[in-house]
Amino acid sequence: MLAEAQMNLINELVQKHTKEELIWISGYLAGLANSNAALPAINGNNHAITNTANKVSSPAAAKTITLLYGTETGNAKRAAATAANKIKQHGQRVKLVSADQYKFHDLPKENNLLVIISTQGDGDPPIAAQKFYDHLHATSDKLNDTSYAVLALGSSSYPQFCKTGIEVDEQLNRLGGKRILPVLKCDEDFENEADEWLNNVLQKLTQAPTPPIVATPVTPAAKPAEKGKKYFNGIVVTNINLNDEGSSKETHHIEFTLNDELDYKPGDAAGVIPENQEETVHKILNLASVTGQETVDYKTESYLIYNLLKKKVNIRNLSERLVKKYAVLVGQEIPDTRMDFYDLLRIYPVKNSEQFIAAIQLLDPIAPRLYSISSSPAAHSGELHLTVVTDTFLKNGEKEFGLGSFYLNHLPVDTQLQMFLHRQKHFHLPPDDKDLIMIGPGTGLAPLRSFIAERDALGTSGRNWLFFGEQHFNTDFLYQTEIQGWKETGVLNKVSLAFSRDQAEKIYVQHRMQEEAAELWDWINNGAYIAICGAKNPMSKDVETVLIDVISKHGNLSHEAATAYLAQLSKDGRYSKDVW
Amino acid sequence: MSIPNNNLQSPVEKIKKESHGLRGNIVPAVKEPITGSVPEDVVQLVKFHGMYLQDDRDRREVRAEKKLERLYSFMIRLRLPGGVLTPDQWLALHHIAGEHSTGVIKITTRQTVQLHGVYKSHVKPTLQAFNAAKLDSIATCGDINRNVTAAAHPVASPLHEKIHGYADKISTMLMPKTRAYYEIWLDEEKLGERISEEDPLYQERYLPRKFKIGIGIPPNNDVDVLTNDLGLIAIIENNELKGFNIAVGGGLSATHGNEQTYPRLASVLGYVSVENGDENFMKAIYEVLTVQRDFGYRGDRKLARVKYTIDRLGVDGYREELEKRTGFKLEPAKPFQFTERKDWYGWNKNHKGLWYYTAFVENGRITDDVQSATKSALYLIAQTGKAMFRFTGNQNITVGDVLESDKAEINAILEKFNVTNLTDNASAIRRNSIACVAFNTCPLALAEAQRYLPTLITKLEPVLAKYNLADDEIIIRMTGCPNGCGRSPAAEIGLVGTSYGHYNLHIGGDRIGTRLNTKVADSLNEEQILNHLDGLFASYSTGKHEGETLGDFANRTLSNVPVS
Ligand code: SRM
Ligand SMILES: Cc1cc2nc3c(=O)[nH]c(=O)nc-3n(C[C@H](O)[C@H](O)[C@H](O)COP(=O)(O)OP(=O)(O)OC[C@H]3O[C@@H](n4cnc5c(N)ncnc54)[C@H](O)[C@@H]3O)c2cc1C
Ligand SMILES: Cc1cc2nc3c(=O)[nH]c(=O)nc-3n(C[C@H](O)[C@H](O)[C@H](O)COP(=O)(O)O)c2cc1C
Ligand code: SF4
Repeated sequence: MLAEAQMNLINELVQKHTKEELIWISGYLAGLANSNAALPAINGNNHAITNTANKVSSPAAAKTITLLYGTETGNAKRAAATAANKIKQHGQRVKLVSADQYKFHDLPKENNLLVIISTQGDGDPPIAAQKFYDHLHATSDKLNDTSYAVLALGSSSYPQFCKTGIEVDEQLNRLGGKRILPVLKCDEDFENEADEWLNNVLQKLTQAPTPPIVATPVTPAAKPAEKGKKYFNGIVVTNINLNDEGSSKETHHIEFTLNDELDYKPGDAAGVIPENQEETVHKILNLASVTGQETVDYKTESYLIYNLLKKKVNIRNLSERLVKKYAVLVGQEIPDTRMDFYDLLRIYPVKNSEQFIAAIQLLDPIAPRLYSISSSPAAHSGELHLTVVTDTFLKNGEKEFGLGSFYLNHLPVDTQLQMFLHRQKHFHLPPDDKDLIMIGPGTGLAPLRSFIAERDALGTSGRNWLFFGEQHFNTDFLYQTEIQGWKETGVLNKVSLAFSRDQAEKIYVQHRMQEEAAELWDWINNGAYIAICGAKNPMSKDVETVLIDVISKHGNLSHEAATAYLAQLSKDGRYSKDVW
Repeated sequence: MSIPNNNLQSPVEKIKKESHGLRGNIVPAVKEPITGSVPEDVVQLVKFHGMYLQDDRDRREVRAEKKLERLYSFMIRLRLPGGVLTPDQWLALHHIAGEHSTGVIKITTRQTVQLHGVYKSHVKPTLQAFNAAKLDSIATCGDINRNVTAAAHPVASPLHEKIHGYADKISTMLMPKTRAYYEIWLDEEKLGERISEEDPLYQERYLPRKFKIGIGIPPNNDVDVLTNDLGLIAIIENNELKGFNIAVGGGLSATHGNEQTYPRLASVLGYVSVENGDENFMKAIYEVLTVQRDFGYRGDRKLARVKYTIDRLGVDGYREELEKRTGFKLEPAKPFQFTERKDWYGWNKNHKGLWYYTAFVENGRITDDVQSATKSALYLIAQTGKAMFRFTGNQNITVGDVLESDKAEINAILEKFNVTNLTDNASAIRRNSIACVAFNTCPLALAEAQRYLPTLITKLEPVLAKYNLADDEIIIRMTGCPNGCGRSPAAEIGLVGTSYGHYNLHIGGDRIGTRLNTKVADSLNEEQILNHLDGLFASYSTGKHEGETLGDFANRTLSNVPVS
């Protein structure tokens, strides 16, 4: 593979350096090879390129593996980065690429393709992977020379469990690709399974048993992956709208008492499966001329139709896939579009009640909704709080409400609600003595309230700085009196507020960050952690842009270097996001 | 009354002294974005700049549950000596009210206007907008001379303009010297390193308490001249202004359950001529303030008004101290006679042939509602540029200085928006009523006033009609607490809030404002008020002497009135 001259050079190198140095060099080269640009070392901060390799194997045997990931919240990326390191350690070459950076014309040339991809929304690909996903389904490329394997990330609490990964796997196969392994569906605790999957892939690829890779063995089954969800019950004790009259928002503070102690951490979320609205269910029953008291089989169980429609199946905004199936069932032409089940029945009626039953059997289960827990285990023991803004949207010019948020915000006091715990490992409090910069406009405040209340209750020493924003100071300052209290007692060292619509020009949290740039940098440079929470678009993007600006300007770094700096913070766990 | 210990200082004294000329921490407090409020020391200081911190009391409980702080805002009161605005100023006020406050322009019992609901972030823009219209709010609150009132209506006398002009002259003389207002709100540059400026009148301590001056022109006592700390009564002989009687020590407030507090009418100390120039007159006014500054009690704000100082020093004692300072003796008071205390509703012409229309504005709230679109009418009138705007001390407005040739045009606007209708059709008792602001903005209110009196009057009207008293110009006044902002102690019927829905009933004040009323019943609810007054009207209608007013009748027969 290498010319003799080059080989000599390498031999020379090998003789000149100690083993440790060689290991470092190999890692460095591998890094260069797969990223085209070395991570810059940053002045004054010890972010030197890390030593990743501890085994050099003969280059001649190396295979080139393309590792493509599609991520929304970063899990797939993390899994891919871990895998890439391992592949290098294993002596193979690896090209790590995000789905949105992938050059489609490379596809037929791939020999070894590993895909790690998550499922989002209602069984949809991550936004950044949508183009790749579409291309895969549109192309006529032949992948006869491609061996591939797919690691599907997802959550078993969603009805479309790992759907995107499954579809990518099927489609690669359809295009002629050879499966190295069947697609592996991973739940939220994917780390161990992903590790095992990679071992298997490498073993198959090199047709040799994989030697133990690291000195410290992986501790398999040390802690058996928590299979299934942790379900728990809460009883609503308070459900109040935090916004005052005149606001365009309706953000509820919902307090539950818990029967049993729940072991959660600030930053974790609760999953809720909402029920459909009574009125809609009745409209459907009326249209179909059934009472709802008839029984029907759905999946492996049987239900009263009313119960099924009320509590089990999603009847809103059905996917195009479902609409297509329905069109086939009723034998009518229906355009490719999402539709409510009621509208389908109304415009393209079923012939009889048998067909109606067949139609409801097509439906998917209602997807769970996640809500960041806004209470703190230390401050609100025995309770769980959520902070939920009623989602609104226009449909045919009429104002409609999101299912889950409307359901929660209208739960009467004393209702018992089943929830499950959704751990968010990437979004927890930093060590007690670390400073924390929290940026959470709107309901992004929810987990931050948990953070602050927890730090308050524990009396931690790290400083805290909150950036909060909403539309209007008078009506929308969520948890205002609590925040004032924390400011007065000193738990919050700084509070920066942005009320976008109280003046002619719109002011958002990122504008406050710009105004405070020097001090913000001071905090960051002194080791502060950064947590962003709330709307992904456009908030978290805009905030991140400003963060990079701040780092660049006050840290005297080029834009690229500042971006890399932030990436490093993220790697070090000092920069985390909980955005949706 | 015991001699107060003069070493005692109320907490406000310290705040004033340490404020560097009323600056204190106002700037950072107004900027602080986490709250719509300001800290207590700043609350006290911004009063001197014409603002009160308030909150919407209707929304306290709900907002507390929502984890929102109280809905804080500021009430801003204009300094308007004698209460006159040009058409351009009216237009500015109209727009400022719409942009920065609740939109209601509230005429006060002291001839000026207040805007309510100005949020903290709007305060500075509001004051800047006022400044652009040559309006300010300096010293309309605080321990300082307040808005100077003067007989409102030019038909009062051919000398009205001259006498009324003293309101502005006195106000200017008694302004504080600090530039704080200009620096803080109007971005005037600070002059050098000096942090507070010499103020020989107010010094660093200002007055012990608020100080009010009113100028009356007999025989109409529309300004309630004797309810002021300093009442100036114009003495006119042969159509010439001779001088003023000087009356000191009026004040209407009391505190429920505090025997040391009481309302009091001013005592006439003497007379000063202005025939050969007004230096002595102005000097006397100035020194009335310095006596109060030096002798007023600073230990307890409830006992700090001039009325307590004069009762402590004695009327003669106050006069002597005053004369010591002025260097001349007051002449003996000239005789004067008040015969009425009213607003001249409708169209009236003055001696110069200019026309004035006084409109009834219930409780001073200028707005557009089902009864009349007074706010729109006044806006259109201002746009014509053909009328001036004058406030009365009874919370009403006069559009005036209208040429004969413009009268029809102005009248058409007033008619079109139902203002004439409202004024003509309001019953006699309604047109002579005053209610203070009270809920939802006044932090001191114990009971409703302006939101309730109109309803109560609607219930009293048939009772009066029953006894043939519908045209009797009875003066009824309601206040939400015993501070007396609606001058309830100086009414024929005074209703003073004690708790939500309950009022003390006071009767027997005279119609002209020279005798205060007497409490005859405690904490009545509406039904009890109606019963009491039904009984009073019944006996008045049968037992009154020829020409006797309700107040005089009640006072004469007080001992017969059942006291509950
Ligand atoms: C607006 C007005 C009543 C109205 O409906 O018109 C008014 C409204 C208030 N008065 Fe007054 N007073 C008003 C005329 C009066 C009068 C009548 C007068 O001066 O002719 C009196 C009785 C005369 C007197 O001063 O004795 C009056 C005696 C008081 C007092 C009692 C003072 C005392 O000696 O104890 C207070 C309470 C205080 O100062 O502590 C007070 C305080 C207040 C405050 C500012 C409450 C506060 O201190 O926070 C009220 C604001 C309510 C609101 O939301 O607007 N107000 N106040 C009048 C404004 C006049 C002006 O333009 O300056
Ligand atoms: C980790 C995480 C934490 C979160 N934390 C919080 C939190 O603390 N607080 C919070 O308020 N939210 C939080 N969310 C968001 C929350 O999970 C929900 O996404 C949100 O409440 C909206 O769900 P919904 O059921 O009300 O709306 P959905 O019914 O799911 O509707 C969402 C959107 O879909 C479209 N749509 C829905 N139905 C129809 C229809 N019939 N026809 C046409 N279009 C339709 C509309 O565009 C609508 O706006 C979090 C999300 C995540 C992932
Ligand atoms: C809003 C939302 C919708 C989701 N929908 C699905 C789904 O339909 N099916 C599924 O298997 N997982 C679903 N998940 C779970 C994610 O796939 C899972 O959290 C995964 O670890 C995310 O990986 P990523 O960070 O790389 O995007 C959803 C998660 C979120 C936040
Ligand atoms: S009288 Fe009392 S209630 Fe009425 S405005 Fe004055 S202070 Fe407020």
